[in-house]
Amino acid sequence: MAAELPQNGGYLIAAYIVTPVILVGYLVSLWRRVKRAGH
Amino acid sequence: MTGAEAGGRAVARRGLRISLTALVALAGVYILVLGYTPVEAKQGLAQKIFYLHVPAAWCALLAFSLVGVASLLYLWLHDARLDRFAAASAEVGVAFAAVMLTTGPIWAKPIWGTWWTWDARLTLTLFLFFLFIGYLALRAAVHDPGERARFSAVVGILGMLLVPFIHLSVYLFRTLHPQPIVLKPSAPSLPPEMLRTLLISFVVFTTLYVGLVSLRYGLSLVQEAAEEARDGG
Repeated sequence: MAAELPQNGGYLIAAYIVTPVILVGYLVSLWRRVKRAGH
Repeated sequence: MTGAEAGGRAVARRGLRISLTALVALAGVYILVLGYTPVEAKQGLAQKIFYLHVPAAWCALLAFSLVGVASLLYLWLHDARLDRFAAASAEVGVAFAAVMLTTGPIWAKPIWGTWWTWDARLTLTLFLFFLFIGYLALRAAVHDPGERARFSAVVGILGMLLVPFIHLSVYLFRTLHPQPIVLKPSAPSLPPEMLRTLLISFVVFTTLYVGLVSLRYGLSLVQEAAEEARDGG
């Protein structure tokens, strides 16, 4: 009989939310700094 | 707006376009990971975190290595473009390191039973992260451009020296962290479907690194042009 898969999908969802939050957040902050610079 | 400032904004816009393209491709990686790549039998769905964690780690270590190379070249050639690139790569590297240091513990909790352990790989990586936070703080604190470039170049080179220790730490020390599966002397030890997805994710993350560094480099050009215009006027 095949072994049961561990039930840990919640951790996958957490990692797949945290990653774009950090990267998109950084991208937005960079672009806002470009917009503000020189004004 | 001066010509230099307009040039900087054009570089930043190009960086923004590359970054947005990479983020759309990242959504494609999500579809690939969740819809097509098989589930690993022992670790379950949590294993799929590795398609984000490993490329983020690659980009962070690449970024910090390039800071060191650019810093070495700066001390030799005194070219401001090298200092500007080092500053951009360091900041982007810290963002990727933040992804690496959050997705790693999220994977570790269900697999190791703990969020964190003070083994060599994890501790050295955290130390490298703090070192580059210090690098950015140093750059913000020193106002003379020549001094800022020289001081931060020394810190950047010291940071680069840590990178090979981090990569080899799983061989040099007893550690819980898995050994390399792609960047190792023998062939990659992954089923083809998993390897294909991982390599696509590597390309997407590296493209995002290029886009973010271009955007950050353009920001430096705009800030420098604005400062020069203020000092001149």
